[in-house]
Amino acid sequence: MRGLRVPRGAAFVLAYLPFLILFGVAPTIYALDLAFTDANGGWVGFHNFVRTYEDFRFLPAFKHILLYTVVWLGALMVFVVGLALLLHGRANRVSSAYRFLFYIPGALAGAAAVVIWLFMLDPTVSPASFLLHHVLGADIFAQSIAPGNLPYIFAMIAFWTGAGAWIVVMYGALNTIPPDLEEAARIDGAGAFTIAFRLKLPLMRKWIAYMLILSFATGTQLFVEPELVQHASFGLVPDTWSANQLAYQIAFRYADFNGAAAIAVDLLALGLVGALIIVTRSGLFRTEDD
Amino acid sequence: MKAKRPHVALASLAAVAAAAAALVAVSSGGASSANASATPSGSITVWVDAVRLPVAKLYVKTHPKVHVKIVLYDGDGNGATTMQTKIQLWNRAGKGWPDVVFTEQANDPVWMAQAPYNFAKNLKGVFPASLIAGWPAPSLSQCTVNGRLVCLQDNLAQEVLYVNKKLMTKFGYQVPKTWQQYAALGAKVAKEHPGYIIGTLGDSYGHWLYLWPDSCPISQVVAPNTVRINSADVHCTRMAKLLDPLLANKSVSTVTIFSPDFAKAYGGDDDKILLMPGPTWYAKDIFGGTLKVPAGEMTAAMPLRWNNEPLTTGQVGGGPWVVSDHTKNVAAAIDFVKFSTTSFAVKRKPGPLSPGYPSYGPAATLWLKNLNRDPYFAAPPGAAMKAAASLVWKGWSMVTYPDQPVWSNSVVTQLVAGKSLSDQLSALGSGLSNNAKAAGYKVVSK
Amino acid sequence: MRVPALTLRALILAAFAVFFVAPIVWLILAPTKSDAALVTSSPFSFGSFGNAWRAWHHLDAFSDHIYRRWMANSLIYSLSATAITLAVSIPAGYGLALGRFPGRKLILSVTLVVMIMPAATLVLPIFLELNALHLIGSMFSVILPFSFFPFGVYLAYIYYSTAIPSELLDAARVDGCGEWSTFRRVALPLAKPVVALVFFFSFVSNWNNFFLPYVVLADSNQYPITVGLSNLLASTPSFNPAVGGGGQSVNIFKPELALATLLAVIPVAIVFLVSQRALVRGMLGGAVKE
Repeated sequence: MRGLRVPRGAAFVLAYLPFLILFGVAPTIYALDLAFTDANGGWVGFHNFVRTYEDFRFLPAFKHILLYTVVWLGALMVFVVGLALLLHGRANRVSSAYRFLFYIPGALAGAAAVVIWLFMLDPTVSPASFLLHHVLGADIFAQSIAPGNLPYIFAMIAFWTGAGAWIVVMYGALNTIPPDLEEAARIDGAGAFTIAFRLKLPLMRKWIAYMLILSFATGTQLFVEPELVQHASFGLVPDTWSANQLAYQIAFRYADFNGAAAIAVDLLALGLVGALIIVTRSGLFRTEDD
Repeated sequence: MKAKRPHVALASLAAVAAAAAALVAVSSGGASSANASATPSGSITVWVDAVRLPVAKLYVKTHPKVHVKIVLYDGDGNGATTMQTKIQLWNRAGKGWPDVVFTEQANDPVWMAQAPYNFAKNLKGVFPASLIAGWPAPSLSQCTVNGRLVCLQDNLAQEVLYVNKKLMTKFGYQVPKTWQQYAALGAKVAKEHPGYIIGTLGDSYGHWLYLWPDSCPISQVVAPNTVRINSADVHCTRMAKLLDPLLANKSVSTVTIFSPDFAKAYGGDDDKILLMPGPTWYAKDIFGGTLKVPAGEMTAAMPLRWNNEPLTTGQVGGGPWVVSDHTKNVAAAIDFVKFSTTSFAVKRKPGPLSPGYPSYGPAATLWLKNLNRDPYFAAPPGAAMKAAASLVWKGWSMVTYPDQPVWSNSVVTQLVAGKSLSDQLSALGSGLSNNAKAAGYKVVSK
Repeated sequence: MRVPALTLRALILAAFAVFFVAPIVWLILAPTKSDAALVTSSPFSFGSFGNAWRAWHHLDAFSDHIYRRWMANSLIYSLSATAITLAVSIPAGYGLALGRFPGRKLILSVTLVVMIMPAATLVLPIFLELNALHLIGSMFSVILPFSFFPFGVYLAYIYYSTAIPSELLDAARVDGCGEWSTFRRVALPLAKPVVALVFFFSFVSNWNNFFLPYVVLADSNQYPITVGLSNLLASTPSFNPAVGGGGQSVNIFKPELALATLLAVIPVAIVFLVSQRALVRGMLGGAVKE
């Protein structure tokens, strides 16, 4: 094999490419095509974007998801990284027990998590009715899910199901740090905080960046939580609360796949801008030789 | 041996006759014939909600020749768009449509019958005309879109006034006949028996129960693709003004009857429901089932009228059955709908097979008779239900967009927060207008 | 300074543990109570096994044992897709991390972009593709899209680019290994942690996926447990007032819903337990040691 001037490593991605194209690239191109054409396939420029922007549900939906995403990312950054740091470097069994406990909610299917929180948010059955009363001012379910509370509630549900997985990843990332480095720092007299923030945190950069990019994207794409809470709230929560829900309704209720694609491209642009910023600032794509 | 030959001859003759009859049956029991004597066969797929499941299963049991695939879905309850999603996708794929669909949303057939969905079959000419005649005219007109009869209602859901006879007698209250008396009673109840209620605005269809009876024009199709939405009309504002003090003194609740909160606060053995405007299907299943109000308390009275004005009432649902225009087995599909809507085995009495007031007249008569006999009620509720059937205000049209979500999102959420109904009328009107325009309607206020 | 820090750490970890776990404990106890008891008795009280058994009977009886079908479907879809994902993603991540070929960065970027693309938009084009391939109605309409797991490729990419120092590879190449034997000798044995991670995340992601199966599967007998759960939720009288009355005959109330949710979690919890060791050991193992 050494004589062959084959680009190194290309063969390994061969099996992946058909999947990438069939379920990644082709649908994306088709969606882009839909966003700039009309129902008959004719080119309409930005007409679909303008049209959907003017829909009375558009701005509220985007406001909702941006607020939700900010709360969600904030919680992730602070609590996931913080908890991973707290768990690292201590008694392994205790640490893994905690990690298991934190992860368990992540095992719940989206629908399952919502079902649990429907019960948790209902003051008549919830074990947290005390908190509901004092934090949300809610004595009945309808008050728990008052419009102003929704972004925080959805962020909490998403955090509850998603944090555990990222804590696992972050913990794994922390384990790639050579123990000698930590030992050396400790010998030098660094305390736990210093080690965490000056040594460990910078080395987790790539992983944190990855977490932020994906979470920004999934945050703006919020769908399952508001959709199911909407089903269970007797309609008190609208079915176009999030931008993704709006895209879904426009596609399947109004048979307007072009408009739906325009909204999806809006979300894609949002996610790309976020990703671009994070990638360039963290050097995510740099390999050792660059 | 000789004795056997005549038998053999007879047997052969019989065999030939049977074969011939079978041949005739096979060839005449074809797809497009609605001939009642030809037994339907083949296979169909039906989509039903959980409540219609017992009916579907009974059909399967009693019609072994038809292979029925039952698919359970959410019935498009509370304004869901499940059916729209699926029909869109089936249209795109060019296959997959079920033969029969039951939906809880009374306005579903309106969009199902039009482009781009083009799903609902015209039942005129395929469904036995003699049976169609058993449906009341308003029910048939609700199912008529562009001149085609695109559905048949499962049950009539006219609004009556449920009365807790036991409690009303105990407290010495008279059953109100007008909205004005209703409001006066509410003031009394709030003072003398706080905690007891005479109604609720918290359901996703609260506007059907309180605004529809007073002819509030917020869903009135006045011309093709033109809908009149005027929440500032006097019929809406005066009803809101009447209800505001009742909301404030809490004699009218803001919680939906389906929530555990409502059941906990107002249901059970020491229930606190004095009056409750509600549709016919509340009868035993909601009061007895969901709310667990004990037997011997509830009955139904005539709906309320506004002072001396003509009596009109509202409506909550009614469950259309729709046959797919793409069906390849019309005979079996029609037979299924026929069974579900008209069969006395199904519609005989209030229960899991027929929780609501049957639309089909002859079945309704029998159902009412058994309803009146049911020991659950303090007094026979059937008379009021029957009378109310023809009193539903005709100015509320079925449109292609569901209006429940607008009521829930923009009104109920505010009522729960303690605001008045009058303050929400404008948001209700604009929310409905926005939805109407998004669905392609022209909105007028006159 | 050590003792207060330890106590603070313990407090924080414990508080979060309660947040993550209390709803699950509630969920486990809920099926043991009757529907009325859930509202009236203490949230963490134990009811009776009899109640739980009854709840199972109701759940099982729903729609001709369809719950069992849903669970079986989820297992089949998730395991098959994960198997394909592993076979495809691990080599792909390796090739992208350590290979040198034109288009490497392009494939990485495309993968990232596709991950950000809103799911609602990709689903319709994917549906149309599957339809053109006559796969609609077969289980491959779910398994094949599930097998496309760019997150897994990225995990493998990050793992291989950070955890395997190039000295190790150079050592192998100096020994005369070709690309494939390098992979087999160096990368594959060290892959255990990332295989465990990808297996884990892929399985969970497949298990929890809602939107794609909801759209492409018309037959409720083919639903995975996620879509089935939402179907169940929509049929629960407490949440969906059946216009036309009488949802009571369906016998799916809060305890049954809780039980359905609980059982849906168990397979994933098992997978987590199984993957625990590999996840805990972290990513480096002994690669750099002599």
